[in-house]
Amino acid sequence: METLNEDDLKMFVNSIKRYLQVTTRQEPQITSAFLGTSDVEGFEFNGIVTFSGSYNGHVVVSMPPKLVREILLLQHETDLSDGNLLDAVGEIANTLAGNARKAMGPDLQISVPIKLQGAHGMKARVRKRPYVITLRWNHHLAMVCVDMERLH
Amino acid sequence: MRLLIVDDSNMIRTRISRVVQNGGLKNVVITGLARNGHEALRIAKAARPEVVTMDLTMPEMDGIECIQALIAFDPKINILVVSALSDKSTAIQALKLGARGFVSKPFTDEELQIALLDVADVHQEP
Repeated sequence: METLNEDDLKMFVNSIKRYLQVTTRQEPQITSAFLGTSDVEGFEFNGIVTFSGSYNGHVVVSMPPKLVREILLLQHETDLSDGNLLDAVGEIANTLAGNARKAMGPDLQISVPIKLQGAHGMKARVRKRPYVITLRWNHHLAMVCVDMERLH
Repeated sequence: MRLLIVDDSNMIRTRISRVVQNGGLKNVVITGLARNGHEALRIAKAARPEVVTMDLTMPEMDGIECIQALIAFDPKINILVVSALSDKSTAIQALKLGARGFVSKPFTDEELQIALLDVADVHQEP
């Protein structure tokens, strides 16, 4: 099994930047990208997509409620309930995972998103050494955690 | 033009509805919103949409399976795939099955409007 390379990580960095740029017209600032530990602390709303096929692992999008609300408001969404915030982070994780197939090939299978509320949501899904991308968008911090390995 | 929106995300269903309603697609009527392929088939049989926006990654019945079922039910139905699965082989598979167009997520309002007009061949009032 192989871990991800620098190009794979750049692809996820570019993917979250593009997502926010296209949907909100405000590009985030990437504040760090590092090899983390299983103790990485996430935010309240977590969207998780599981990879299978030629890779296994997860991508987790972890965001605080204020950030998700602002994304929804910029899309003229009026339902700002917790359920809709969870739906939104799930959809963002789904988009990042789906876009990854363009670079990683059609043998990368992706699950429908799982949504977890609570900062423990990130910990529940990562293994020992996940790649962590932290970002700031409109004064709010958020995190994308990529924990996957190539099988063959 | 009757439109059915199929996506497991409420955010996306709402966004597509808003783009259609506020974006100058004046003769489009939304006949239903579906969260998966099963719901889409049930609504399509009752409401007979002419155009469908179709997500691919959904629970219960995914978009590829749903495209096949919708085309079998109504070969003239116009399906626009709206998906994050933006790799070439997925797009080709959907088009081979009978979809008429493909929009990659994330998308802008303008990209969606143009694709909908193109797929439906809708002539807008001046």
